[in-house]
Amino acid sequence: MIKFEHVGLRYGIGPEVLSDVSFTLEQGSFHFLNGPSGAGKTSLLRLMYLGIRPTRGLVSMFGQNINGLDRTELSPIRQRIGVVFQEFRLLDNLSAFDNVALPLRIQGKNEKEIRNNVNELMDWVGLQDHKNMLPNTMSGGQQQRVAIARAVIMRPRLLLADEPTGNLDDEIGHKLMNLFEQLNRMGTTIVIATHDQNIIESFGHPTLMLEEGRLRIEDRKTWLAKKMEGVF
Amino acid sequence: MKLPFLNKKDRKLGISDRRRYDIPLEKGAGGRFLMLLVCLMTVLGMIALSGTFALSAMKDRWTSGLENQLTIEIPAQDENGNTIEADALKREALAVKAILDKQSGVTQARILSDKEMQELVEPWLGEDVILGQIPMPALISVKLAEGHPELLDKLRRDIKAAVPAARLDTHEEWLSDLVRFTGALRMGAVILALVIGFTVVVAIAGAIRARMAEYKKEVELLHLMGAPDNYIAIQFQNHTLRLCFKGGLFGVLIGAVALKLTGWIYGHMDINLLPDFSLGHIHMTMLAALPLLIALLAFATARRTVLSILKKQV
Ligand SMILES: Nc1ncnc2c1ncn2[C@@H]1O[C@H](COP(=O)(O)OP(=O)(O)OP(=O)(O)O)[C@@H](O)[C@H]1O
Ligand SMILES: [Mg+2]
Repeated sequence: MIKFEHVGLRYGIGPEVLSDVSFTLEQGSFHFLNGPSGAGKTSLLRLMYLGIRPTRGLVSMFGQNINGLDRTELSPIRQRIGVVFQEFRLLDNLSAFDNVALPLRIQGKNEKEIRNNVNELMDWVGLQDHKNMLPNTMSGGQQQRVAIARAVIMRPRLLLADEPTGNLDDEIGHKLMNLFEQLNRMGTTIVIATHDQNIIESFGHPTLMLEEGRLRIEDRKTWLAKKMEGVF
Repeated sequence: MKLPFLNKKDRKLGISDRRRYDIPLEKGAGGRFLMLLVCLMTVLGMIALSGTFALSAMKDRWTSGLENQLTIEIPAQDENGNTIEADALKREALAVKAILDKQSGVTQARILSDKEMQELVEPWLGEDVILGQIPMPALISVKLAEGHPELLDKLRRDIKAAVPAARLDTHEEWLSDLVRFTGALRMGAVILALVIGFTVVVAIAGAIRARMAEYKKEVELLHLMGAPDNYIAIQFQNHTLRLCFKGGLFGVLIGAVALKLTGWIYGHMDINLLPDFSLGHIHMTMLAALPLLIALLAFATARRTVLSILKKQV
């Protein structure tokens, strides 16, 4: 359902960030995305949420080849993808509530439905009392939870999260990971970029490893075996 | 698609009052500048428009009646500069009148009396002039049922045959001058309207471009969440429309006061160049429609600008 074939990416005239990336993610799968800083994790996610187009190679989302689509045809695909950005990217002039409601409004849902869904989710991420606050008056962790709520509010078919637990303490971090797990059980494909070895270990999903512009998939067993051998 | 407007229902649902647009379009002084511009353009447009109305009223007044009238003049001197005897002049005038009376299509032919002649020359020569002292031409005022060119030609021929010195004055020259003059003024009004339209388009397009650049990140984010171009355009175009309505409303108020004031001053100036003139219902409606027209133009410009910028993005 997501397929990359020999994808290469460079920004402008810079060096290749991704040089030959090929992989397939089945619908309903759950992967971590790992690799050293600057390896291109954010760039790979950006390709998946259609924020940029690859310099070469094929990207296909939900069975559609992206290269062949013009920009107006990307909107319906993007509406099925929830993204938690590394730097949140909340809209500063909108309250927490309205930020979370944004994807539903874009999809033209009615206000009653929006209110019910958003309130429920705000409860869930523990922000019910903060829903009328503006993002820049919230703590980093609170903003991150708003960003996560916004990404999952419309039950996306694909959820991409860039370091979603980076600003959160372990307890809330695990709670949010459980939210992702729950979403995954309902059929959402999930890719989470993270440095957090604890989370990778305790949830044990296969990991996409990015190194020097290339990607390989490690399932939990080989990952644990390597860890035993003291590779890291 | 639902407009992302804040309405009463939204407020009841507990949605923050702050939200009207996703992008903070209401921040900054740019909006106030546009409002002022639209206000001024509305005032300018109103003045130009009512000027045009007054002009055409003036033209109608001056030309009405004149079209089916002509004057025949028999000069008091022959081509050598010798004064013609009053009696001879009168005979010639009667001959002309006889021709006119016979002609069908002529409703009236009247030789102006001495008293009328005196009144005509008074403004130029003063009250004390005694008609006998200066040579006065004979004037015959003619009214036609309809000013057919054929009828005029026939009259001209018949009268020339009887009294070679007679001159037909159909007011045509004077009328065509007037028509040309008001036409030029009207042209000026049209050019002014074009300038107003052009100014609005340029200002709105510029403001939208600046805003789009300022909120590039926010616009990109909306795109990434799957917002179609239309969703983004709606926010900009509705914001523009609101600004223009507000500006236009102020403009109409200021314009109305300005026109009222002009009318009052003119009424107290005691000159009678322009006929009495007041705005009718049609004129009022047209003046009131002006800000709507400007707002519509701004709306369309905003939409086009946003869409054309978005088209160039990923
Ligand atoms: N917009 C950009 N323009 C130019 N170069 C970029 C851009 N974004 C990223 N890069 C470059 O691409 C490379 C990969 O960056 P990326 O952000 O994808 O790494 P990352 O794996 O997400 O790192 P981190 O773990 O620190 O978030 C880096 O060398 C970076 O300098
Ligand atoms: Mg990154």
